[in-house]
Amino acid sequence: MKDIKRVSPVKLKSNPLKTEKRDNWDIVMEYAGEGGGPYLVDLSHKPRLDLQNADVGAITPFGMTIPDSPGKCILQDGLLINRMNGTQASIYNLGYNLAGQEDVMMPDETGYTDVTESTICVAIIGKNIFSICEKLTALDFMSPEYVAPFLFQGPFSHVPCQIVTLSKAGDDSGIILTCSRGYGRDMIHSILDAGDEFNLKPAGENRFSDWISHL
Amino acid sequence: MALTITCPICGKRNGYEFRFGGEEKGPRPEENGLTPEAWCDYVHLNKCVAGVQEEWWFHKDGCGLWFTIQRDTTTNLEAETVSMSKLATENEEAEK
Repeated sequence: MKDIKRVSPVKLKSNPLKTEKRDNWDIVMEYAGEGGGPYLVDLSHKPRLDLQNADVGAITPFGMTIPDSPGKCILQDGLLINRMNGTQASIYNLGYNLAGQEDVMMPDETGYTDVTESTICVAIIGKNIFSICEKLTALDFMSPEYVAPFLFQGPFSHVPCQIVTLSKAGDDSGIILTCSRGYGRDMIHSILDAGDEFNLKPAGENRFSDWISHL
Repeated sequence: MALTITCPICGKRNGYEFRFGGEEKGPRPEENGLTPEAWCDYVHLNKCVAGVQEEWWFHKDGCGLWFTIQRDTTTNLEAETVSMSKLATENEEAEK
């Protein structure tokens, strides 16, 4: 039997310096000329689930409690759980300390849908990232009303997205953005174009792992 | 004039994020004794109020919630929105 090949919808033009094959994904760990930040990191290979249930708050995926109100998130042991509305939550395995456990991502209970290959996922981390976001969306990330981590569901570059702000701490700020896979190429184009004046560069997974391990 | 709508979950957003769901017409009529004419009236007839009316909206680019708002059709401004927390409080009080 032949191995399947999983292809990220995100194509970054920089030259990969270090790559890794994991769970049939070709993952770039480091790019040439990443610069000093901010960084755009492709995380489309990170397993992501959608969970729907009439009583979603009573479910404990991977032993974790789903936040009680929409917009709230929990990040614990590499798993990010975002409450979307009364009946739905999304789960991202950011997996910085779950190496080798990608294949145990699907729980046995009903209600889960694997959306890894139907969506893109990117992280924008580093300094000035909210100045970049401000050019692409009217969502107010810097409102003191929202304390990280929190989830926004709304248009980013006119595309309906889930955007999780993991940190608003100056140069260590970071967001994770997901949207439908078909928008991948144009979403990356618009983010890099908006970030050009802030020196936004593509970066490998190592840069993201370093960043999130310090949160 | 740009329409803004206050989603009970996401807060005040651009009207383009939402899909209109029609006037609020009250509960679906009882099927016992329901005539085709009465059903047709319920489905198709609208009041088309010139003023404040209650109407359904769907946050299609956001949280996916269906909810109602009060909108003044002459100014295209929201009059009042019932928040989820207020609804929950009202429901709790009604159950007591």
